[in-house]
Amino acid sequence: MSLQTSFMGFTLQSPLIVASGPASHDVNQVELAEQQKVGAIVLKTACSDKYEHMRSWPRPRYKLLDWDKHMSGRSKQFTLYSYEQGYSGTLQDYWDFIKACKEKAHVPIIGSIFADVANDWAELAVKVEESGADAIELDISSPHRPGSLDFETTFVAAIKAVREAVKFPVAVKLAAGPDVVHQCVAAQDHGADAVTLCNRIRGLDVDIEAQRPILHGYFAGVGGPWAKYYTFRHVAEAQQAIKIPISATGGAISGEDVIKYVLLGASTVQILSVIMINGWKSISRISQEIEEYMERKGIHSTEEIRGKAVAAMTPLDEVIRWSGEPKSGPRNVWKEEDMSKHFG
Amino acid sequence: MNGDIGVPMNATKTKYPGLNPLPPEFGKDYPPIAVVVEEKCIACDRCPPICFFDAIVMEERPKHSYKRTAVVIGDNCTGCGLCFDACPVDAIIWVPDKSGLSVPGKKIPPSLEDTDL
Repeated sequence: MSLQTSFMGFTLQSPLIVASGPASHDVNQVELAEQQKVGAIVLKTACSDKYEHMRSWPRPRYKLLDWDKHMSGRSKQFTLYSYEQGYSGTLQDYWDFIKACKEKAHVPIIGSIFADVANDWAELAVKVEESGADAIELDISSPHRPGSLDFETTFVAAIKAVREAVKFPVAVKLAAGPDVVHQCVAAQDHGADAVTLCNRIRGLDVDIEAQRPILHGYFAGVGGPWAKYYTFRHVAEAQQAIKIPISATGGAISGEDVIKYVLLGASTVQILSVIMINGWKSISRISQEIEEYMERKGIHSTEEIRGKAVAAMTPLDEVIRWSGEPKSGPRNVWKEEDMSKHFG
Repeated sequence: MNGDIGVPMNATKTKYPGLNPLPPEFGKDYPPIAVVVEEKCIACDRCPPICFFDAIVMEERPKHSYKRTAVVIGDNCTGCGLCFDACPVDAIIWVPDKSGLSVPGKKIPPSLEDTDL
């Protein structure tokens, strides 16, 4: 039995990947992640110089919502409301950061960038490749990006430009929404090697006493364990529509969540909120939970079960609808004696 | 298998290695904004594990009614705000930054002002 997973041409020791964010913002975190036997690390997203202001974070930049303060720190539901935007250093710092991470790391290091015009995307991607990253993730769906940037024009051009400019694997990170399958297909058609589903979404919360939005008065990225339900759906839909691997991300806090993503067709699963809230040991705890499941089910590799739940989905026209039985559902299986009981 | 979120783990006193490259002497110029009101603290141990930056530890306070209290380590605190909502008695408070210094970095350039960043 092994957690080994192939993804974008790499053989990862685990399907778990540290998602782009505060747990991949410093070179020393590479060691912390590797101690927990993580599969790969996606570095914090760096923005082009035009978005330099996104490197400065307001304080405080997070708010923990829906946290049950009376659960001894064991709340299973929460929302991480975050106004942390790009990598806090300059682009030169970021290239040095990639180099330093590569020197330390034994697992693949995936760079992550954000820009707007195609030339900037390509330029940054080339620098990420030159700095030694093993792959790149295009954060076209950042919750902090300008809403005026449109997928069809800006981001399709960006994917194309990056694909032409670099040789290493390119993943595209997409946000949840009705267009996500269409965007997955577009990413695949333009040469992406993988898609990451789904980014945090842009959210808002209001302080009813002050009668204004909380934190800094502006939209923030929201995520948390609840985010897995719509991501499950998007992963299942995408799995049927595209051939490139899917890296699922969103709300995974346990081995159970990761197994669900794999059953729905994901190759890898990116985690972050759980590491922030519960510490680095969450990674090894989740790995252990996956291994326990695999042992119980007699599975040797996660690849054996990948997409199994999607294959078991019922097509819409075959969903059994109410058919006149007095009761329906799995606990009320029809028995012959019911016939006489109910109908004489 | 039950997604055992929030299991408290021992906080360490080591400096959180993340968040380089912040500006040099960031902690000096931008003092911590999270402060524990020791009289209010009930020593429940919930804030040290929630701090991703290892900036909160429990310290002995023989005269305190709970004999211990949470303390914010200024050098490690990035002012992220996670701890405020983990405290059941609101003993961690936000001290607005009165250093008079602007947030490091640049303002939104005029060319982007009309976009909803």
